[in-house]
Amino acid sequence: MATISLQRLSKHFGTFSALHELDLQVRDQEFMALLGPSGCGKSTTMNLVAGGIDASAGKILFDGRDVTDVAMGRRGVGFVFQNYAIFTHMSVRDNLSFGLRMRRLHRTEVDRRVSAMADLLQLGPLLDQRASGLSVNILQRIAIGRSAIVEPAIFLLDEPLSNVDAAFRAIMRTELKSLQRQFKQTMIYVTHDQLEAMTMADRIAVMDGGVLQQVGTPLEVYNEPRNVFVAGFIGSPGMNLLEGRLYEEGGAIGVDLGVIGRQRLTEGKQAAAARRAGLADVLLGFRPEDITVDAGNPGALKMAVSFVERIGHRVVVHLDAGAQQVKMVARNGFAATLGAALPLHPQADRMRLFDKASGLAIGVE
Amino acid sequence: MSVEAVKAPIAPVVVQAGDAEIRRLGLRLTLPAQLLLAFIVLFPLVMELYISFTDWTPLVGKNWVWAYRYWNDFDNYVEVLTNARLWGSIVRTFVVMIVCVPTELLLGLGIALLFTGDFFGKRFFYSILLMPMMVVPAVAGYMFFMLFQSGGPVNAILSALTGSQVAIAWLSHANLALAAVMIADIWQWTPLMFLILLAGLLGVPEDQLQMATLLGAGRWARLRHIVLPRISRILVIAVAIRTIEIFKIFDTLYIMTSGGPGDSTETISVYIYKVTMQDLEWSYVATIALFILVVLSAVAIPAIKRFGAAR
Amino acid sequence: MARIELDHVSKRYGDVVGVRDVTVTIEDNEFFCFFGPPSSGKTTLLRLILGLETPDRGVVRIDGMVVNHLAPAERNLSMVFQNLALFPHMTARENLRFPLAERRVPAAQIVSRLDAIAEKLHISHILHKRPVHLSGGERQRVAIGRALMRDAACYLMDDPISALDARLREETRVELKRLQREIGHTLIYVTHDQEEAMSVADRMAILEAGSIRQIDTPQTIYDAPNCRYVAALIGAPSMNFIPGAIVADRFQADGLAWTLPVSSATGPVSAQIEIAFRPEDATLARGGAGEGLNGAVLSVEPLGAFTVVVVACGSYTVKAMLTGQPKFSIGEPVAIAVAPRRRLFFDRTDGRRVGAEARIAEAV
Repeated sequence: MATISLQRLSKHFGTFSALHELDLQVRDQEFMALLGPSGCGKSTTMNLVAGGIDASAGKILFDGRDVTDVAMGRRGVGFVFQNYAIFTHMSVRDNLSFGLRMRRLHRTEVDRRVSAMADLLQLGPLLDQRASGLSVNILQRIAIGRSAIVEPAIFLLDEPLSNVDAAFRAIMRTELKSLQRQFKQTMIYVTHDQLEAMTMADRIAVMDGGVLQQVGTPLEVYNEPRNVFVAGFIGSPGMNLLEGRLYEEGGAIGVDLGVIGRQRLTEGKQAAAARRAGLADVLLGFRPEDITVDAGNPGALKMAVSFVERIGHRVVVHLDAGAQQVKMVARNGFAATLGAALPLHPQADRMRLFDKASGLAIGVE
Repeated sequence: MSVEAVKAPIAPVVVQAGDAEIRRLGLRLTLPAQLLLAFIVLFPLVMELYISFTDWTPLVGKNWVWAYRYWNDFDNYVEVLTNARLWGSIVRTFVVMIVCVPTELLLGLGIALLFTGDFFGKRFFYSILLMPMMVVPAVAGYMFFMLFQSGGPVNAILSALTGSQVAIAWLSHANLALAAVMIADIWQWTPLMFLILLAGLLGVPEDQLQMATLLGAGRWARLRHIVLPRISRILVIAVAIRTIEIFKIFDTLYIMTSGGPGDSTETISVYIYKVTMQDLEWSYVATIALFILVVLSAVAIPAIKRFGAAR
Repeated sequence: MARIELDHVSKRYGDVVGVRDVTVTIEDNEFFCFFGPPSSGKTTLLRLILGLETPDRGVVRIDGMVVNHLAPAERNLSMVFQNLALFPHMTARENLRFPLAERRVPAAQIVSRLDAIAEKLHISHILHKRPVHLSGGERQRVAIGRALMRDAACYLMDDPISALDARLREETRVELKRLQREIGHTLIYVTHDQEEAMSVADRMAILEAGSIRQIDTPQTIYDAPNCRYVAALIGAPSMNFIPGAIVADRFQADGLAWTLPVSSATGPVSAQIEIAFRPEDATLARGGAGEGLNGAVLSVEPLGAFTVVVVACGSYTVKAMLTGQPKFSIGEPVAIAVAPRRRLFFDRTDGRRVGAEARIAEAV
């Protein structure tokens, strides 16, 4: 069993708060992604868990054991750095066997485990080669093998694919994921790429400014973002957020979006919660892929095309009206002319309301 | 706000030469300097070679050009190979080398390792540590001469430490004089090793050290498996530099002991100096010089090759 | 204004081929992109255009004038390097001013242009800082701004935004495209991120080991790749390939019970071909016993807007990308179908696309 429990974990450097009271539970054998922009505290969290830096406050527990004050060399975690930190002056074999040799394992045992690992990672023919000058793909496997061979229950990876060519990234993601399943490890993976997190993680912890924003499965953070940050960060492009005021007309609730138009809310829970809270200024959120162009709908929102990106299988249409902007994702081949006004109809049951002041989603427990 | 067009003048067109043309032009322009350098380097070498086959000394009254009149074939070479005093000085030089270079290396490495961490007064100690290197060697010689006097500071400290009155005449005893000379050299040149090794140590990637720690390596393990292999090339260079220099040890030593007492601190340079300036056997000395050149090259060239191969 | 032409340009570095017989014309005011995997020659081409390298063979022309022997400073080009090369001892503002200040442009003009560019790139608030105090993203934008300050005939950018966060990259590439349209000068861009390349480029060139494989608009390259290499390179998730043969007007997949009718008007088609289709063009029907490609679900990857379903069909792995979040269970039998218009065929011996002009028979 290898669970990780972070309790009110904080770290500050002088007056700068890098991490603020993080509460996070990682389950046994879970692939947990720490996702957020640069400076959000994800790397700080990793370093705290690994033991490279000391916490300012809070606790770190592995399987219920308090390791907050345990030195880095004794925590028993595997770590993969962003640039892999391969011992380039040693052979591949010596890299892989390093951890075992530090534990003074018997020579035959070391060789046996190195062979097994090399077979698993298809590094067999390279074992006696010098580790410098090898391709990134191989270095990644060596880095993982080197840390995995001492069989740590917990594995930490700090943006290990950021140096990898975009084309290889997809292949290496799959490899990493299957290795995690194979080794049955609890893995924490740091990334700034939401697509990577969505692809690989069992659950995602979204962070910003040193504060945890939301934890959930990929579909949970995608479908039910708890605040505007998560809504805007997940998805490519992120959720559209339009400013408006709630209004009530003839028993129905809607959002008045100024020059763009008025959008009726049909979804019950959010409308009811909004009415109850008596809020006025809201943000109406809907995802770019949940919009249809609906000329026949009188209630459609009117915005003009300002930019078109044709990216293979999808077309991202940028629209604006007044000071507000919306992006729409359409299928390959969608015809859009610059300056044309399009009547947009967001899918009714996929809209979300956010309180403009607090940024929190309305109608969420 | 749109971005206005701004016209900037374009630099004048200059036709660029090809690579080979540039190399040839460079060769031609530096030819005078190259010839001068060649002359300066080769002329003494040729002259030495010439007079090494003769019996010429300035005492004969004629210019060295006429040395051919005193041809003695390989007599000087035989002398070099058999002269007891010469070989004694060579042995002594080696003793100094074998004691001093490893000591300087280990001390320098130890201090450099200390300096990779942080401690109170680091900058201050850094400046102090570099001072010995900056002292003029002759001045250092005189300084240690004073230190090692019977009534001098070294004995005073030893007296304080042992409780009894210590009045060793360091520079009058054969072995102690050699020890004193070696101490002086270690004092002066450890800082050089320290500097070179510190530069090498700072080049060891921090993340690899962290990774080693994570994999369970303690301080000694990290030193052995990560640090030392990575600085091995710099280590070799530092040792090569220092070995070649120490072979030529002269100024500090000469001021301290003049090669004495007797010939107990007479290293090869001191010996050559005496034979040249006091005995004036210049053709014999020329032979020795050529001999040393060959030996030092045999050490230097492999070391340089190893450095060049370090990519 | 600058039209850049590379005419049968080749460059070797010892035994390694940098670029091989490259011919391409980049039109005036075009946002042109060189795309390819690492070591395919993209950076070499930029360096040849810039003048940091001279071609072994062939001619580089700017506006019709041969520039092979012109030094970079004389070619009136402006470049953003991959390592940015910002002056560390100057503030961001001074870095931006540098190109024009050196050429003695009047101060007022420098200021107005600087402010405009800084605003476009969202760096107005950090102009007083030195590079060491800026984040990676801010540094990159300052480097781009500095290159844009000069009114060069053509701008060259070598992977300028790769170090930015994914989200920031998406925004910055739109800004770059808008900026280029406004400034109106040719921009030659190198990247290894295909989404970025397709988004910004008016036209792009696909490189393989120093040679150009296709030059076209991104959409054309995507919809009509002219060879297997390009088809496999562009598109994420990547294209599905299944080998087979044409036998009596039908495509027969190797080792699978799957055939498709193919028009005899496909011309001289070799027996050894591959069918290829993009994951988003694959439709899944539950219950794999129909006419289509049958298999069992291996994995389901929910990506929010799309879901990638990996299906095992015999010994092949086929990826299908479906919109939304449909639910499939592991092991569920499914049938894959692909619209005829979206099927591509490639010759297995040389990778050439075949049947391009042919009309492929409409499936029932």
